[in-house]
Amino acid sequence: MTTALNSLGEPDAEALRAALIIESVVGNAWATDAAGRFSYITPTTLSDLGTTLEELNTPSEDGSAGWKRLIHPDDYDRAVAVWRRCLETGEHYNVEHRMLRASGAYGWSRSSRQPLRDSAGRIVAWYGTVIDGDAPSGARERFADVISAALERKAAPDAPHSLSLVHPNDRTAAAHAAARAFWTGVPQVTRHRQLQTDGSYRWNETRSEPGYSVSVDIDDLVTDREALAKAGLDPLVENDAEPIRSAKVVESIFGNGWAFDAAGRWIYLHPFALNSLGVTLEDLNAPLRDGHTAWKRLLHPDDYEQIAATWRHCLTTGDHFNVEFRFRRANGVYVWARTSARPARDSQGRIIGWYGIALDNDVYKKTVAALRGRERELSQLVDMVPVQIRRLTPEGEPTFFNKRLLDFFGLDGVADLDKPAMSRLTAAIQSLVHPEDAARLLETVRHSLATGEPYSMKYRMRRADGAYRWVDGRGEPLRDHSGAIVQWYAISIDIDDEMRAQEALRDRERELSQLVDMVPSFLWRLSASGEPVFFSKRMVEFLGLDVGEYESAGGNGLTAAIAAVAHPDDAAKLEAALNHSIVTGESFSLNYRLRRADGVFRWMSGRAEPMRNEDGAVVQWYGLSHDIDDQVKAEEALRKSKRQLEQMIDAVPVNILSFAPSGRITYASKRYLDKVGSPPTHIEDFDALARDLAHPEDFPTMFRRASNGFATGEPFVNRFRRREKDGVYRWIEARAQPLRDADGAIVQWYMASIDIEDEMRAQEALRERERELQQLVDALPVHIWSWTPDGKLAYVNKRSLEDLGISGANFEDFTRVAQELIHPEDAPEVLHRSANCLKTGDSFIMRYRRRWKDGNYRWIEGRCEPLRDRDGTIVHWYQVSIDIDDEMRAQVALRERERSLWQLVETLPVMIDCAAPNGEPIYRSRQLREFLGYELESLDGKGKSRLSRTLDEGVHPDDLAGVKANYAHSLATGEPYARRHRLRRFDGAYCWVDTRAAPMRNAEGAIVQWNVVCLDIDGEVRAQEELRLAQERLARASQAASLAELSASIAHEVNQPLAAVVANSHACQRWLMAEPPNIDRAQKTVERIIRDANSAADVVSRIRALFKQSADAMAYTTLGSVVAEARDLIAEEAVRRRVRMDVDVEGDLPFVALDRVQIQQVLVNLIRNGMDAMDSVAGDRVLGLRVRRIGDAIQIEISDRGPGIELPDRIFEPFFTTKEHGMGMGLAICRSIVESHGGRLWAEKNEPRGATFVFTLPVEAKADHDDG
Amino acid sequence: MTTDDHVVFIVDDDARIREALDELLASHGMRAIAFGSAGDYISANKPDVCACLILDVELPDINGLDLQRQIAEGDHPPIVFITGHGDIPSSVRAIKHGAVDFLTKPFSDADLMAAIQAAIVQDREKRSERAELGVLRQRYLELTPRERDVLPLVVSGLLNKQAAAELGISEVTLQIHRRNVMQKMMAASLADLVRMAERLEIPITHSRRTGGN
Repeated sequence: MTTALNSLGEPDAEALRAALIIESVVGNAWATDAAGRFSYITPTTLSDLGTTLEELNTPSEDGSAGWKRLIHPDDYDRAVAVWRRCLETGEHYNVEHRMLRASGAYGWSRSSRQPLRDSAGRIVAWYGTVIDGDAPSGARERFADVISAALERKAAPDAPHSLSLVHPNDRTAAAHAAARAFWTGVPQVTRHRQLQTDGSYRWNETRSEPGYSVSVDIDDLVTDREALAKAGLDPLVENDAEPIRSAKVVESIFGNGWAFDAAGRWIYLHPFALNSLGVTLEDLNAPLRDGHTAWKRLLHPDDYEQIAATWRHCLTTGDHFNVEFRFRRANGVYVWARTSARPARDSQGRIIGWYGIALDNDVYKKTVAALRGRERELSQLVDMVPVQIRRLTPEGEPTFFNKRLLDFFGLDGVADLDKPAMSRLTAAIQSLVHPEDAARLLETVRHSLATGEPYSMKYRMRRADGAYRWVDGRGEPLRDHSGAIVQWYAISIDIDDEMRAQEALRDRERELSQLVDMVPSFLWRLSASGEPVFFSKRMVEFLGLDVGEYESAGGNGLTAAIAAVAHPDDAAKLEAALNHSIVTGESFSLNYRLRRADGVFRWMSGRAEPMRNEDGAVVQWYGLSHDIDDQVKAEEALRKSKRQLEQMIDAVPVNILSFAPSGRITYASKRYLDKVGSPPTHIEDFDALARDLAHPEDFPTMFRRASNGFATGEPFVNRFRRREKDGVYRWIEARAQPLRDADGAIVQWYMASIDIEDEMRAQEALRERERELQQLVDALPVHIWSWTPDGKLAYVNKRSLEDLGISGANFEDFTRVAQELIHPEDAPEVLHRSANCLKTGDSFIMRYRRRWKDGNYRWIEGRCEPLRDRDGTIVHWYQVSIDIDDEMRAQVALRERERSLWQLVETLPVMIDCAAPNGEPIYRSRQLREFLGYELESLDGKGKSRLSRTLDEGVHPDDLAGVKANYAHSLATGEPYARRHRLRRFDGAYCWVDTRAAPMRNAEGAIVQWNVVCLDIDGEVRAQEELRLAQERLARASQAASLAELSASIAHEVNQPLAAVVANSHACQRWLMAEPPNIDRAQKTVERIIRDANSAADVVSRIRALFKQSADAMAYTTLGSVVAEARDLIAEEAVRRRVRMDVDVEGDLPFVALDRVQIQQVLVNLIRNGMDAMDSVAGDRVLGLRVRRIGDAIQIEISDRGPGIELPDRIFEPFFTTKEHGMGMGLAICRSIVESHGGRLWAEKNEPRGATFVFTLPVEAKADHDDG
Repeated sequence: MTTDDHVVFIVDDDARIREALDELLASHGMRAIAFGSAGDYISANKPDVCACLILDVELPDINGLDLQRQIAEGDHPPIVFITGHGDIPSSVRAIKHGAVDFLTKPFSDADLMAAIQAAIVQDREKRSERAELGVLRQRYLELTPRERDVLPLVVSGLLNKQAAAELGISEVTLQIHRRNVMQKMMAASLADLVRMAERLEIPITHSRRTGGN
């Protein structure tokens, strides 16, 4: 320990250490020796200042301190003076001055120093700190000002916080702490005894902040330990361990010192701290179970780990220790504290211990929070009071505007007002106050500033939006104790609305006074006793007199006035009425005449009302006289004219009613009453009257119209049936018209009604007729159009529109109509003629085609007639178009038919004769006329009938008698006539004719005409004759021909084998005659001879059988085998001719009796025919052979695909052939054979081509065979 | 008459007739070749010997008469028609067109054989005549152009002098040509030469009378 002490050497080491501690807590620090020479300055401060210790310690040439240049010249003298005094007295040094910064600018700083004394109380060194206070200082100052001002106002009578309450022994320390706190801005904590109300002192811990101090009663904590505390506060003791010494040094400035040995064990703690913590050093050093130190339980659990870690770290590294934490006081409360420690080292630099200081900053923390809340509260208070507050310097410069004021002006701060070369006051007044008020205000303010008198003034301030508002501004000075003005506080209250209201009031008053003079009535006032006190200007002008200007012949003024102005007739009445009112307090109202200045009396309507005071006593009478002279005269005139009107109204044949605007009946003319009768008493208004009298059917319409009229004020007309006195409803027309006054307001409704019964009936009838006509017009199946005289379409009936598919609007003049609707072929003619008619006025009739809506044209007959008025002028054209299309078409068709019939009759190659029922010819066709060579008419007038002459002259004499007889018979009986006879032709030759006649009868069956046809059959008769002859010849020839042909055919069939037989016979003969005879060849030849001879014999026998129609050869066999044989016979040929045979034979065919050879021949013949037919066919040649049973027959069909058969009927005739070299016998023989078997053979056409030959063979022939 | 000397063609659609005729001709020692249709006959290879064609009028493909007309253009054997039902127009037509005979079935052995004989003789003559004409033509081709000029004049009966004048040559020269012509044509006499000229169808350009002076 001693060693350690010795090693300290220089006494200023203590100061240095203190400085370092301060530095670690506050930020910058310095130390000087006892002479004031700097031994240490925080290096960052040095660099901030841009200087060195040496420079600072070097005195200037003029003897001033080295740090002079760091201090603002204005502040230097003061600072140096204080410093010198401090050096002498040992007082604490505390100066605020401007200090040069590294930037070259001066900034405000607070510098504070404290002496460090040795045990003898000698000052060994100074240590201190410099706190930059520029920006914070300014803000703090403002803040403090506001707060203090606010506080002072609140607690004006209270004594300021005074040291008087502090125990005299503690006063110095407390004052010191408060000052230190104020100057450094660092909260200071002092403990002192404070006087209680009971006169006792209690220990308090006071936390001091600038402007505030908060005291906490800590008496309970402190008193018991006071002795200990005293010991702890002892000055430095020589034999203390070095860390303890250091701790004590530090402690002398700030609070609780403490020290550890190198191992971190507590060796010293300020007794206060021990006391407040409620522990001893032994407690603290007692290691805990888990290796923590005892002070673990002193620290807040949340902080311990971090503190311990930091501490351990510092122990290891020797770094400075500076932490903030919460610790628990003896009373169990956690409070905030800050501790700083650094190691004490020996000369070798080894750590010999730690010393530190703990600053309890809990109160600080809490008070800061409290202060902030308070500040906010006050600031809000200042800002929120609905008063605009500002503060001025004693010179009148505004330094503070509250928020309301700033908001009002739209400023961010007072500084916004600054303008160059102008005081802030002037600038503010110029820019913020209404120009009219600015000068006055400025003057007032200056006056107050000069005299110290408060001021009060109303002026207009400009709001942020540019609007000026009236305010009531008041300013008062704030004086210090000495009475010197410290500040001016001024407020302004917005009185704009009030001001404006006042102004408005003033305006109204003026207006009222004008009104009184302007109203076209006379206003006057009487005193409560009736003395005239006021006449309005108009009244004075009217009377030519003002109050009192009349002769007051004794009595009161009222009587005099009345005498002067009222008509003598009315004076007494007027006075009596007025007096009555004055006595009773009732309102006055009277009409009377007043004399105008020119002596003319005019009617006045006078009224007066009393004005009463709160007690109800009449104070004054206000009167008004209105000139009603014109009205009165008009009324009179009106009454007169009304009477006249009534007379007139009653005279005119109209029923008149009048109604008040409310609908009340006000008048009914006499006629009305006569006609309708007086309305019952309960009917008083229009509504009821209408309900009573109007026909129920008409009422709704009528009433609605009337209501509408009444509502809108429009005149209205109603037609309805009204019940009259006799109970009969009659149609009337009621017209209502409002009477309006000058303002247009309806005064009266007048309603005049006239009887229109006859008219309505006529109209009704007319309408009915019109409707019927319209129906008629529309129903008629004709088109009815009307035209104006100049050709414009005026009307088109419905049917036209429907039929033509047009709308009337489309067609306005007939040219258009013609173009659009009339057939193009007809249009020009129609146009021409209609135009002509329009010109001449002639009727128009024409048939033409008009287009219907379906686009087809139909024939119509258009007739157009003009309607003329009495003068003969054409008023309208009426056109009726009748559809005659069917008729036209029928006519056309008829004409066409007639024409074609006529042509038919005339061109028919027959001679036609028509005769009357008695046989007289009436018409002869051209053919007949030409044949006869004369016209029918030439027969007339020869004494004989036409018929007789025709017959006598025309019929061949050989036939005449017969013809006449036949004619006579037919004419007599009506039977048709038919006869052939010869008729003489025009050239005299007789020709055969076939004459036929038939009667034409009417519906009753009576003969109306004989129609005669006369056919020239001369050629026919002769041809028939020739034909007959030719046929006879042909029959003979064909008989011969067929015989020859048949024999040729037979010959061929027979000669073939015969020729073979003959040839073979000769050969045989020669073989036999040969030398030697060739027997073999002869033998073979003979066999052939036999064969061929048999073949010939077969043919012969078949021919014989054919001609004998013999069934001898019939044998029962199946057709299948026969067909197969035939197919085999022809197979080779079929192949050679490239014909495919398609044979289809039905199974189970019954046996049929047939001649095998014949049927085979038929089959082969037909098959070969089929093949022949297909020779010329290019495609596939298929010959179908089908055998099947149909009913009782077997049917065999042979079909080919050749060109088919042209003449199916003739092919079976003998000698008919289509082949060049055919005989024409094959099919004839085939048919003969088939028919001999009881079957049929025919041919059919194939589709699409070819022919099928079909033959049948009956099945039932079996029975016959069995029998045979 | 030997079998190889000639051949008889038979065309008939009736097999019985073909058989019988074949047999008959065989019995006469004649060679016969039978055909069922005209087409078969036409398309067949036939020996170039004297021949006769026995042709049925009614054939399945074409009529015998039509066949006759078809082959008329070229050399063909003389035709003997046979028919089952001969009619006069057909026979007239056949004969007119050079048929040797027109026999109606049944015909006699003698008639047929006579017709065949006649036909073969005719064919043989026709053949020899054709051969002779060939020789003449060959001789004619061997004449010089001048000799060919001379020949028509000579056969026209012109005197030597006239012919020489006609050709503008001397009479002597003409005589030399004439002798050469006679020799080359192997004419025994002028009449013989005239006949040859007729056969060769050498036109007689001049008449002695018309051209006489």
